[in-house]
Amino acid sequence: MSLKMKNISFIIGMLLLFFVLWGTGSLAEAPEGFTGFGQETDISPDDSELVFSYFHGDDSALYTVPVDGGKAELVKKPAEGKSYSNPTFSPDGDQIAFIEKWKTDERRYYQLRIFNRKRQTIEQRINADGYVTEAAFSPNGQSLYFLKADVFKSYSSITGARPHEFDIFRMDLTSGETEQLTDKKAYTMSSLEVTSDGKQLMYRTSQKSADQLVVRSIDSNHGKTIVPEGDFASDSRIISSPALSPDGKQMAFTSVATKDENGTFIYEAFKMDMETKQAKQMTSFYEHVTNPVFFHNQDKLIVTVDNNFAGGEPDNSYWQVSMDSEERHRVSIEMPKEKGQ
Amino acid sequence: MNRLKKHVQKMLEQTQSANGEREELWEELLNHLEEAKQHYMDEGLTEKQAEKRAIAEFGNSNSAGHQLQEAMYPYQRGLLYVMGIGTILFGVLYFVNAAFLQHDPIPVWLAIQFFTGSLITLAAINISFAGRYFYLLHLALFANVIWNGINLLTIQGSQWQIIIFGIYALLLVGMGIVAIIRNSYFSSNLIDNKQQKHGLVLTSYIVNLLFGIAVVCVSLFFLWAYFFAMGRSLFALLTVTPILIWIIIYKFQMGYIARKPLISMMTGFGFSVLSIAVPLSVLILIPGRWL
Repeated sequence: MSLKMKNISFIIGMLLLFFVLWGTGSLAEAPEGFTGFGQETDISPDDSELVFSYFHGDDSALYTVPVDGGKAELVKKPAEGKSYSNPTFSPDGDQIAFIEKWKTDERRYYQLRIFNRKRQTIEQRINADGYVTEAAFSPNGQSLYFLKADVFKSYSSITGARPHEFDIFRMDLTSGETEQLTDKKAYTMSSLEVTSDGKQLMYRTSQKSADQLVVRSIDSNHGKTIVPEGDFASDSRIISSPALSPDGKQMAFTSVATKDENGTFIYEAFKMDMETKQAKQMTSFYEHVTNPVFFHNQDKLIVTVDNNFAGGEPDNSYWQVSMDSEERHRVSIEMPKEKGQ
Repeated sequence: MNRLKKHVQKMLEQTQSANGEREELWEELLNHLEEAKQHYMDEGLTEKQAEKRAIAEFGNSNSAGHQLQEAMYPYQRGLLYVMGIGTILFGVLYFVNAAFLQHDPIPVWLAIQFFTGSLITLAAINISFAGRYFYLLHLALFANVIWNGINLLTIQGSQWQIIIFGIYALLLVGMGIVAIIRNSYFSSNLIDNKQQKHGLVLTSYIVNLLFGIAVVCVSLFFLWAYFFAMGRSLFALLTVTPILIWIIIYKFQMGYIARKPLISMMTGFGFSVLSIAVPLSVLILIPGRWL
């Protein structure tokens, strides 16, 4: 082959290779993202509906379904690239508070929203400069308590970036005024609940890598720490997604019950007597159980079970569990078809 | 052009020699062939038969040219091939990785990667042209080293992807620097046979190129700092002018190093400092553009 032919062949070959790679690269589809049920749920005050978030391509919308299962109904779908999560019913069931999450090149946003079911509108009562992660209505429905973090960053290479420096805030739903109730800048804070008498707040936080539950008076700074006693399989104390029973006498939470053959923690739901602090395992799914939510007028609760905890993406399902642990059944949900499918 | 001249020309297409050296080789090889031709004509062959015989005895022009190249510039052409094809292969692997694992392929990046890799590969294919224009080969090598250096600093992915592609890019940068030093040294076309002088010249090239690497690093640091502090602007191009100034000065330094290796280390240092100082003073003096 002459030198001229060698040059021409090489240049044509390179151009072809470039265009083939360019075409192949543009055909390589972006990841579809996670599709499935979210972790957090809430039960309506009349125990008829379950509200949950459902992810489709990493964006989650809010749906409701009858607590015994059936066809899900779309509550509200966010704009593309945004997600609705952590729904909470108001005491009259007319409103659902939730968190709208999205991110830009610069930062992430976690904003508190309230969906009015009668008007079918979303209200933005505050424009928080930090990261609102969850909210809880007062029993009289006049206030909304919420957790807000100041920063979204990574303090540890294991956990990755997440909200930190939490405090509790209260918003008067009539006037819209917001006040800060704590000044803790806590590393973590979650599972905020208001006791049925409306006088105390309960939340989960951590100290020296051990989880703890705090019950504090709303009007004073007085608070006490609750440490459940029970047969847990983890060395450090893990108390996940605690929830108070409607009568305030019991608490449900999830913790490590055992480990599987690979050493992965198996989380089960526990119930604890608020007086004796004695915790007793109440589920035996041998999967990852999270987020217990009490029914308001029945002696049972709904938990979220993740069948793919050790895998990359969760595979959540919702289960009704009786408080005496004797009955359980899956809330089977038929999702409505997406438009255009 | 007669058959003998064509044969010599084909041979010389495979060698990197600069113009002066090429003319000498041309004369020498042609004389050799002419003598052989004369010898066979004296033995009774016709002119045509004698030419064919002389050429056959001399060997295939391609392989003889390759042997000549390897004898005069050992491994230099191979190094260019490895660098060029290595750069192209890096482009293919990283682009496929970016497309299918990170879902963020950048075609413009691939185009630049292919362009720098292709330039070096074309230089290896057209080694005779590269030999006549040592400085152009220098520019192609500089561009390749700087680009692979930028790649090295901006690799994205998991820890293992960063380690594997990082080692790959580091090898390419290393090979590029060796190729530039060797190319500079070969371009000096030293006739002096003193081993000591050769060593000094080689050292001077290495020292001058280290200054060049420092200039490139400082410029790219200022470019990054400018983007970080001031955002994208045409004035940012001023931060890379030290590289351009240094490359232009190096064209004249190349010859000077061969003649005055010791002094040129000092002039190289001076020019390197100047190439950074001048554009940065301009940048600082423009009100509101910096600091």
